[in-house]
Amino acid sequence: MTEAPILDISNVHKSYGASPVLKGVSLEVRRGEFIALVGPSGCGKTTLLKQIAGFEDVTSGTIRIEGQDMAGVPAALRPTSMVFQKLALFPHMTVAGNIGFPLKLRKVPPAEIAPRVDDMIRLMELKPEYLTRFPKALSGGEQQRVALARSMISSPKLLLLDEPLSALDVKLKKVLQAELKRLHRSVGVTFVHVTHDLEEAMMLADRICVMRAGRILQLGEPADIYYRPTDPFVAGFIGETNLLPVTVKSVTAKQTVYQSDEIADAKGNVPAAMVAQDLAAGPALMMVRPELIRRVADGEKMDCSLSATVTEVFTKGGTVQYRARTDKGRELAVEIQGTSALPMQLGEKVRLGWQKKDIWLLRPGEA
Amino acid sequence: MDGEITRSWRDPELFVKALPSVLLQTTCFLAPLLMTFILTFQRTRDFQLRWTWDLATWTEIFSKPHYWTILGHTLFMAIACVIVCIVLALPIAYGLATRFKAYENEIKTLITFAFITDATLKTFGWVLFLDKKGGANFLLSYIGFPPETVAFLFTDWATLLGMVYNLLPFAIFTIYLSIDNIDRSLILAAYDAGASKFRAHWEVTLPLCKPGIWAGSVLIFLLGVGVFLEPKVLGGGKSPMSAELIRQTFETRVNWPLGAALTLVLMIVAVFIVLLFTRVAGMKRAAT
Repeated sequence: MTEAPILDISNVHKSYGASPVLKGVSLEVRRGEFIALVGPSGCGKTTLLKQIAGFEDVTSGTIRIEGQDMAGVPAALRPTSMVFQKLALFPHMTVAGNIGFPLKLRKVPPAEIAPRVDDMIRLMELKPEYLTRFPKALSGGEQQRVALARSMISSPKLLLLDEPLSALDVKLKKVLQAELKRLHRSVGVTFVHVTHDLEEAMMLADRICVMRAGRILQLGEPADIYYRPTDPFVAGFIGETNLLPVTVKSVTAKQTVYQSDEIADAKGNVPAAMVAQDLAAGPALMMVRPELIRRVADGEKMDCSLSATVTEVFTKGGTVQYRARTDKGRELAVEIQGTSALPMQLGEKVRLGWQKKDIWLLRPGEA
Repeated sequence: MDGEITRSWRDPELFVKALPSVLLQTTCFLAPLLMTFILTFQRTRDFQLRWTWDLATWTEIFSKPHYWTILGHTLFMAIACVIVCIVLALPIAYGLATRFKAYENEIKTLITFAFITDATLKTFGWVLFLDKKGGANFLLSYIGFPPETVAFLFTDWATLLGMVYNLLPFAIFTIYLSIDNIDRSLILAAYDAGASKFRAHWEVTLPLCKPGIWAGSVLIFLLGVGVFLEPKVLGGGKSPMSAELIRQTFETRVNWPLGAALTLVLMIVAVFIVLLFTRVAGMKRAAT
């Protein structure tokens, strides 16, 4: 069952003068999906979103919504709706005026607008008495809900979110993230969410598209991005990770054989499922997440292990973070579930190990 | 809270702190105004001021419709000037704030030059240009128009042209500032909601630059009520406006009490109109 994608971006380029912003981006978004575009500032994610909305043209390539080419279609006529970073609520209109504005423009009679505004108010869990107030009289979180309500009232096919949560404090952000997720589930609209916060993307999105310097580095489900990155940049983009240099000897359909100057591994091979698709013989990186590394007791057998000296201890409440320096001078981050007695002491020489199922081999990449 | 407020009013230091400002306001603003008011109850005889304390001046003002005709004409010209200036300034300011953003500084410098060039000079320049044998007619006849096509010099139209010409920068600047303050994403949000360009202007840009329109209107109205150069030079002095009348009363007729009374009447009427205007504008804003 292959349904046509609701949004089909193919080989989109964009340059401002001589400087390219997007260098060939292709992306298909399925109906009802929550997709996040993530990347550092200047990676082109906002430009791509604005192109979908119709605020920016494409230098080359096509954007199709429901199979229809959007070239030359103005923003006003696209079945998309945007939630702006600065919310862009109209300061001279009341909350009701703001939410009903898209319907007013579509010449819906006022008698029909009012009940639909009420529906949105209820969906967004806003108080009805806010309707007659002006946006600036509302708190940041409430304004956010009004902006969402205004974007949802015209039943868009695609809801485009341009970092709408970036200006909020951490606590409110968490509440509104949960709200967005609930909203997405209840209305079934396709969401395209731009954020520079990969953690937020992991929480919310069905699929994440990591961008950098005008290209898509990786597109996949949150677990893929976290545990199976195809690029060191993606690996380092969220949380902490350890990337240890190894040399790949051979790659076959069954297993990959590698060699390391430091990691003790009896067999020196990795099952095919544990390596990135584009891996080839030569230098590579072995990724192990800090929480998957643990101390190896004397005489205990472990798939992979190396010896290191503990250089830092950070107690983070639930977990304890360690920094260790390997014998070859490499930095290693280790995170261990906290216990009342510290499992490792500062300056202690320890053996650290991890299981083969927890590793991931990837190409070193340019960065 | 309550205690704090009362205490601050009883604060003995407050009077000391407020003294410089109070002194300045009193000596430079209230005292002259009061003296003007006192002056209206005196008379001049043989070019000398006589302290008589009677209502002769006020009786004259309220019995001669001539003064009120001139006042009405002045207000009419000022309001016409406001309307023309705002209508002209809106597209200019909009263009400055959006299309010609790259040349913003150059254009602002030019407008500032227009500000600081002496108004007398520019007004006489218009006379040379609009004269029967002036530049405008010369250019028009050159491209085939009959001679003396431009023949409105020394009429109210020429006065209005001069007023608009001299006061337009005030409207451009106030409106430009308010358009420049509008967040670009508000316009995008209007497009996104389905607005055409015209609709976005009408529903978002125009309401949001209202403060600039109000400010420019008040400024131009008050300055327009006080013009004397344009009616004299471009209007040919045929239908004088209040400022010219006041000047003549003081200087030519040497009737200071009457001049003072005319000044007060003009001031009170102008302030009243501005207050009325701001009240109406304020009510409109509260209603939308």
